[in-house]
Amino acid sequence: MQIREYILRRLMILPLIVVGTSIIVFSLSRVGGNPIAIYLEHEMTPAEVAEIEERYGLNEPLPVQYLAWAGGVLTGDMGWSAVSAQPVTEALFSRIGATLEMAIFAAIVAITLGIGLGTFGGARRDRLPDHLTRIFSISGASMPIFWFAILLLILFWVNLGWFSTGRSSPEIFASIAHPTGLYTVDALLAGNLGAFLNAIRFLTLPAITLGFGATAIIARMMRSSLVEELNEDYVDAARAKGLPERLVLRRHARRNALIPTVTVIGLGFGFLLQGTVVVEIIFRWPGIGRWMADAVLRGDQATIMAYVLFTSILFLSVNLIVDVMYAYLDRRVVLGG
Amino acid sequence: MVDISTAPQSPPIPTDGPWAVRTRRFGEVSKQVLRNPTTVAGLVIIVLLLAVAFLAPLLTTPNVPDPYQMPRDWGTRDAPPGTPGHLLGTTSTGGDVLYGVLWGARTSLQLSVIVVSITVTVGVIVGSLAGFIGGRLDEILMRIVDVFLSIPELIFALAIAAVLGPSFTNIIFALSVVFWVKYARIIRGQIIHIKQNDYVDAARVTGDSKFRIYLKDVLPNSITPVMVQATLDMGGIVLTAATLSFIGLAQAGLAEWGVLVSDGQAGISAGKWWASTFPGMMVFLWALAFNLVGDGLRDVLDPRTEGR
Amino acid sequence: MTAAAPAAGGTDVIRSPLVASVEGLKVHFGTKGGRIHAVDGVSFDIRDGETLGLVGETGCGKSVTARSFLRLVQSPPGIYAGGRIRFWSSLARRTGADPVDLLSISQDDLLDIRGNRIAMIFQDPGKALNPALSIREQVAEVFYQHRSDDLLYGLADDPPLIIRRAAGQRARGLERLLLKLPPLRGHAAKLRSRVDVHVAEALAETQIANPRKIMDSYPHELSGGMKQRVMIAQALACNPDLLIADEPTTALDVTIQAKILELIRQLQHRHQTSVLYISHDLSLIRQTSDRVAVMYAGRIAEVGDSDAIFSDPLHPYTRGLLAAVPSASHKRGGLAAIEGNVPELVDPPPSCHFHTRCPFAVELCRSLDPELEMVNGHGVACFAHASAEHLGVMPEELPSFAKRTR
Repeated sequence: MQIREYILRRLMILPLIVVGTSIIVFSLSRVGGNPIAIYLEHEMTPAEVAEIEERYGLNEPLPVQYLAWAGGVLTGDMGWSAVSAQPVTEALFSRIGATLEMAIFAAIVAITLGIGLGTFGGARRDRLPDHLTRIFSISGASMPIFWFAILLLILFWVNLGWFSTGRSSPEIFASIAHPTGLYTVDALLAGNLGAFLNAIRFLTLPAITLGFGATAIIARMMRSSLVEELNEDYVDAARAKGLPERLVLRRHARRNALIPTVTVIGLGFGFLLQGTVVVEIIFRWPGIGRWMADAVLRGDQATIMAYVLFTSILFLSVNLIVDVMYAYLDRRVVLGG
Repeated sequence: MVDISTAPQSPPIPTDGPWAVRTRRFGEVSKQVLRNPTTVAGLVIIVLLLAVAFLAPLLTTPNVPDPYQMPRDWGTRDAPPGTPGHLLGTTSTGGDVLYGVLWGARTSLQLSVIVVSITVTVGVIVGSLAGFIGGRLDEILMRIVDVFLSIPELIFALAIAAVLGPSFTNIIFALSVVFWVKYARIIRGQIIHIKQNDYVDAARVTGDSKFRIYLKDVLPNSITPVMVQATLDMGGIVLTAATLSFIGLAQAGLAEWGVLVSDGQAGISAGKWWASTFPGMMVFLWALAFNLVGDGLRDVLDPRTEGR
Repeated sequence: MTAAAPAAGGTDVIRSPLVASVEGLKVHFGTKGGRIHAVDGVSFDIRDGETLGLVGETGCGKSVTARSFLRLVQSPPGIYAGGRIRFWSSLARRTGADPVDLLSISQDDLLDIRGNRIAMIFQDPGKALNPALSIREQVAEVFYQHRSDDLLYGLADDPPLIIRRAAGQRARGLERLLLKLPPLRGHAAKLRSRVDVHVAEALAETQIANPRKIMDSYPHELSGGMKQRVMIAQALACNPDLLIADEPTTALDVTIQAKILELIRQLQHRHQTSVLYISHDLSLIRQTSDRVAVMYAGRIAEVGDSDAIFSDPLHPYTRGLLAAVPSASHKRGGLAAIEGNVPELVDPPPSCHFHTRCPFAVELCRSLDPELEMVNGHGVACFAHASAEHLGVMPEELPSFAKRTR
């Protein structure tokens, strides 16, 4: 199959899946009882209730209600977010920057550390570093992220006082403008090194916590695909050419081992996405994860629906990009046969 | 040209059915599994955790009326570990941490066994239908699976549990809705793969019915990866459930590890580390143990997926 | 075939100087069940300009022997348990310097020999080329690795350190970035175009049509024969003294096979390279080799000039093999012509490894290792050709081809 064809096909399936996802999300909102509940107040007359039903279209058949909601989503109207007392779309965009910034740093941690550790272990197969990498990656997959966060807080915040919860120091927040919503980028734009370091200081613990699980997944995949690649003939052929082991590993084996590793980056991204909810609660990080947690506890359906739809579209897009990257990188698979 | 690369050797002809072969292989497999020290470590931890879960009513005095609720001792709140009668300390509401740790194992065992049974059953049925019948049904079922996979597990379960309202039963329900998908995929893939094998054709030639072929040949050969996944999920489900109850989706006061960590979280800035640390460690140990064993099983049963 | 090739069966012909000499090579593999003696005391010589064919069944240890020349046996589980492989490079022969032992030289010295003085062609060119790198990159590596001084010669009066490091493939991350920026970019481009010239030349030598275009392609875009030509090009790029060809045509179509064999022969003559040819294919070995070593279960059964081996085989194994060669009068027999199975090589007791299949085997064969003895100008490891006196046994204890024991 040609790569263009493959991408086109994936792009055509994507909207179908998004529609399916939106149906699930919509059904969820109707499973939990009549959504009218949040509009009701004490001592409303039946006529007033009926009027509210009428106003929000809640007396229409479900498919019509779905279409009305879906139409709203497409035009950027996802309803009113009770937890943040503002329209959902507005609330989402005012919080996305914080989550994005944390996720980007966590991804950087996960990818560099994961590939590094996987290479370190895989190149020393069945020796001590390999066993340590294995233990690390299984621990990472088994670690309750909320517990890991609390352990880090006990150590680095309560006992050592190096880091703190929250996103930045108030006086520093006020000292620069925030055009992008990513505090590190904002600080760099303002040319304020102090603000940049401050942002990094607040980012460090949450990013490490969030990145841990994904690091483990990537390290594990990298390790096993490197072990596999090192058994390939072309590695011996490279050795037979007189290349030093450093080049055999980096230029030959690692480059090919990275190809299957790319596929788990999508999985790792899912880990990051779902991790943000817990990490933002514990580190008091003002992103969409904590927004969701608040909505969950308060039964704010519009917010829950928007969050689930948004994250799953994000998740799907990243997976699409990953698949396309894989197809592009692995010439053997797509173009070869 | 002369090819002397192949010595004349006839392979042994299998004389009995896959079930018999499986049973015989079970011995070899367990021997191989037990050779891996990390797998053995995982098994030991599992045995200990199960012992704790079963013996919890003997090790502690069950709370009345509901032993799955934390007992409240309002006289000793925030007691540090080592306090007489409260070996691991107490929570800010006077709950005994040790009680929660022990009964949490019981809660987790029930939870994981229920959810794994439901999801494996549903997954195997859906996957079998899709793989064995194929055609349009397969197409439809697999698109549904794709849709379910489009939402990250925890977020999906979180949303379901949220709209249903906070209760542990709802968490069980939510996890069951989310976790069956992988089994359907595994089973379908295996069936399609095995259907291409010669011996299923051979069985068809001898006139076995489709269902018999399914029971005799397809299912036993497909079950290995399901076993591996189920072992991993025994851990993953407890991990996810604990996360949901940490966020606040279980009833307050439940003897469950996630709830306890959440209760203890407020105290850590004041140096009260124990109420969160011990229950969290139990979640970690539980997930770790099943991951170690699941990993060891996969290495032995399905070497292709691992570069070992 | 070569000028130095001796007449058939000749005993005292003056032979050309040695290129490599394998002496008592033992390569074992440690497993849970014991040590597998994959190569169990193998000796043979390779002389300047000649082609030595190493023939044997799959699993007899011929590939392990070949890989030992470059220390490519994976370790663990592989262990070089004994013996040595002495090697005289062309320089050593000219200056009369001592040979090196490939099994004991330092890693750095070994890297200097690999791909430079001794090169190797692998069985499956589809697997031996890296799928992620272009042909240009893969062939260029050899020049960067072994010819960096030539590449730098005249490039600039005093090339900057980074350029020198780049020519020797020692440039790391940041340095590689600097090479893309001025002022180094010009030097780097010049260096690259010089390498390209060499790569194109090497490819052209293997009669690949349109080498410049091939350079930019990836392995999956080439046919099997083309890939093997690329392998040959990079193997002969540095004019090696010894070329090891490990079943170079097994993975190829029959029609391509002949072309590749002819190509190797031509290039061997042009470059004055000795060739160690590994194959399980007797007729191919007969076609290509000046001398032949027959390997069985980790040992050399018989070694000698090709004509002598094929016209007058002495070892019962060789005889069995040749009887299996299809001819006008015989149908194709395969190895079924020799009954029995190859013995387990886990911690074998002293014995002739062929005794389990030999129709003439006697008690002696089951309890003593036979050694290579010179008979009629070629070496054979069989008690039927040994001297009873030398072994200290009664003549009737030796096996005899006159009476079959099974």
